[in-house]
Amino acid sequence: MDVSTIDYYANHGTSFLHGARALSKIIFAGLVIASVVISSSFYLLLAVYVLLLTLVIWTRLPVLKIVTIAAYPAIFALIFAAASWNGSWVSAGVIVLKALSAALAMVILIVTTPYPDVFSSIEPVLPRIITEGLFLTYRSLFVLLELTDNLVKGLRVRGGLTHGRYIKNVVNFSSGIGLLLVRGLDISEKFYGVLNVRGYSGRISGGGRHEKTGAGDFTALLIGVLIFGAALAVKINRGLSAYDGYILALSLAVLILSTVYVIHPNTWGRAWKK
Amino acid sequence: MSHMHIPDGVLPVWIVTAGWVVTALILAFCIRRVSTLELKRKVPLIGIISALMIVGMTLEIVPIAYHINLTVLAGIVLGPAPAFISVFIVDLIISMFGHGGVTVVGLNTIVIGAEAVLGYYLFQLFREVMENKSMFREASLAAFLSLFLCTSIMLGIVYVSNVSPEKMESIGHLVTGTGSNTNDLNIPENGINFSRFAKTVFILCPLGWILESVITGLVVKYVFRVRPDLILPERA
Repeated sequence: MDVSTIDYYANHGTSFLHGARALSKIIFAGLVIASVVISSSFYLLLAVYVLLLTLVIWTRLPVLKIVTIAAYPAIFALIFAAASWNGSWVSAGVIVLKALSAALAMVILIVTTPYPDVFSSIEPVLPRIITEGLFLTYRSLFVLLELTDNLVKGLRVRGGLTHGRYIKNVVNFSSGIGLLLVRGLDISEKFYGVLNVRGYSGRISGGGRHEKTGAGDFTALLIGVLIFGAALAVKINRGLSAYDGYILALSLAVLILSTVYVIHPNTWGRAWKK
Repeated sequence: MSHMHIPDGVLPVWIVTAGWVVTALILAFCIRRVSTLELKRKVPLIGIISALMIVGMTLEIVPIAYHINLTVLAGIVLGPAPAFISVFIVDLIISMFGHGGVTVVGLNTIVIGAEAVLGYYLFQLFREVMENKSMFREASLAAFLSLFLCTSIMLGIVYVSNVSPEKMESIGHLVTGTGSNTNDLNIPENGINFSRFAKTVFILCPLGWILESVITGLVVKYVFRVRPDLILPERA
């Protein structure tokens, strides 16, 4: 989990998904995850994953990095797949694809939407202490990441983390985490105090970057509805699963065309740096 | 990998829904409890501990997927109710990174929240029994035992979902698929081989438990030395 990189992508991207409202993308991710849950067809799940890859390409962010971030649950899914192994690669593939697709949908949401926007969209359904906790966790996270970076550098420079001295390394590393906790708490208490003095009432402002509904919103929602519609149709009418292969072929064609289109203007994975 | 994150789409819908309902009830109870505590002190603490858990999860100790969780540390420092809230916040945030499923945030919160709550009570128990000055042994033992117990809870969830008659209904059941399915690429009506799954988990997890418990013990020892009020609030 590279939290700072994800935050950077979310705040500096320029794609149509970055321009869409957080709520539209949350609905999109919800529809994709619902499709993943109700679907048991290998081809259909593969098609969903390929379509999500296409969306990643459209965001013009580093594709491999994002796919790697979203591949983490595959490790756990593989354990479930191994435990349910019945000699068929399809069973294992379905479990892994479900985990990968759901994770990629969430990662697409979070690399195109700053955390405060996501939090403020889900704020109405959460109790105040949870939203305050989310906000302070988000704020503390970057403070701690910076402190961790300095700590690890400091430990390395002073020989606190060296090859071959594993026990000493663990002791030093653990003391470092203790230090992070103590220092982080001091900073967080001060921050919370400042917020209260300035009249913080527990409401998170999303920043209001994308208040207007635009083409990006409609595109995200349309893709989500199409994916969910296909999964639901196959679920209700089993006969339609015979066409799963066509859906996969179509999504592969879209992926190839999108890749060619994005590579052609020579902006592959670098558009966000502009 | 001292505990396992359950991915999306692996467990049946009924158990996922039950997970959300149980988590909501426990959260409601915890929020009521926390409201009676010193809230202005607890909220920044919840924020920093949640952030620390996420930072711990970004630090991969043994490739692949072995990372520290610091959930027992959260339990010891925050106490059971705020720690459960903190675990929910962490699960919600990490699910956005694809680190554990979104639909199973409820179930993952029960498993990991139980780790924090058990960690707290076991630590208090060992503290009274052992009376050690450094707190290393108490915290390590509490962490190891709570990790073992929570892995067992996770296995219990998988077992319950596997044996339930609900799995015969097709929507989202464990390793989904229906008998009436005519498509060869729709998976068959087999569940998880529970004993194989349990063996895999109990082979993979102990290394994580040992690492996590040693690190938790050392962190608690350090914090107790510099800020004893964080470990024993009565010293504040």
